[in-house]
Amino acid sequence: MKIIKSKGPEIFDIELEKDILAKNRNLAKENKKRFDRSNILAIDIMGSIGSGKTSLIKAILKRLEMGKKVAVIAGDLTTTIDAERIETEGAHVLQVNTGKECHLDANLIRQAIDRMKLDGVKVLFIENVGNLICPGEFPLGAHKRLVVTSVTEGPYTLMKHPFIFKEADVIVLNKIDLAKAMKVNPSQLERDAKKINPHVPFIKTNALSGIGISKIINALGLKT
Amino acid sequence: MHEFSISSEIVKTVLDTAEKNNGKKVLSVQLEIGELTLLNIEQVGFWIHELFKGSVAEGAEVKIKTIKARIHCKACGYKGGIRSDQEDSFRHLTLQTCPQCNSFQIKVGKGRECILRRIQAVR
Repeated sequence: MKIIKSKGPEIFDIELEKDILAKNRNLAKENKKRFDRSNILAIDIMGSIGSGKTSLIKAILKRLEMGKKVAVIAGDLTTTIDAERIETEGAHVLQVNTGKECHLDANLIRQAIDRMKLDGVKVLFIENVGNLICPGEFPLGAHKRLVVTSVTEGPYTLMKHPFIFKEADVIVLNKIDLAKAMKVNPSQLERDAKKINPHVPFIKTNALSGIGISKIINALGLKT
Repeated sequence: MHEFSISSEIVKTVLDTAEKNNGKKVLSVQLEIGELTLLNIEQVGFWIHELFKGSVAEGAEVKIKTIKARIHCKACGYKGGIRSDQEDSFRHLTLQTCPQCNSFQIKVGKGRECILRRIQAVR
């Protein structure tokens, strides 16, 4: 920090060069180091409200059958509904309520992992707040980022929100069973995904019936 | 989208810095925000003013400068700014493409910063 005196003795300038967004990125890097030290694979699950983030996590947990080797941080504004739903699958669950915030940030994750017992945990899912905008700008330190959208959000979601889909390591199109009723063409959404982020897997799922779940498990490098 | 939380972080940093340097009153703060962040400059300015109220920084001037984006297209090799017709709107946030070949495969070199550059205070 450089202090420059100017305009007489009592007025002074403080030069900071402090990048406020970099603070989150640095904390995210620290979180990642912590996960690496503990041999935990951390996965950030992002997606719009009602796209099926919780259902997808539940379906993955059911298929993995890893019990307490999996932990989940469930982010939500104020309720514990998601945490309760996930708990029935036998994983460690911690609810993080963001209150008025529209996204989880690296500091909230740091606090969450301080509070969790992560001994023996191999995989950590972080369910972000339902939102396709803000979470993209706030990395949490996860090794992989998965973005879920669903056919019920209509045909334009990917083209409207390329920012977050560009950040994704896996893109999931959920509720594929409803495509016809919604008059949405999944192939068009897949073409949009390939245009925005051509090198990542695009997986069609029905989280409630289990369609596509094993493909997600493979894409995330999780062993069954 | 998250102007409130970012502004709170900026205000906290300004007040902490002022206190550490025995600043009795903050006169101005200077910020630089990248045009590819998801931050609306007017809203950031509004929240900082609001959050300064009742503190040593109440009424301080908030100067915000835009940092122009610099991108590198992996498809055609273009290096430079974003499309000029995207500069004034928010379209560049959702349509982040190369101005030369329209590819989405761009790497952002500059434009995602939110920097607190300078604080002026009275001791």
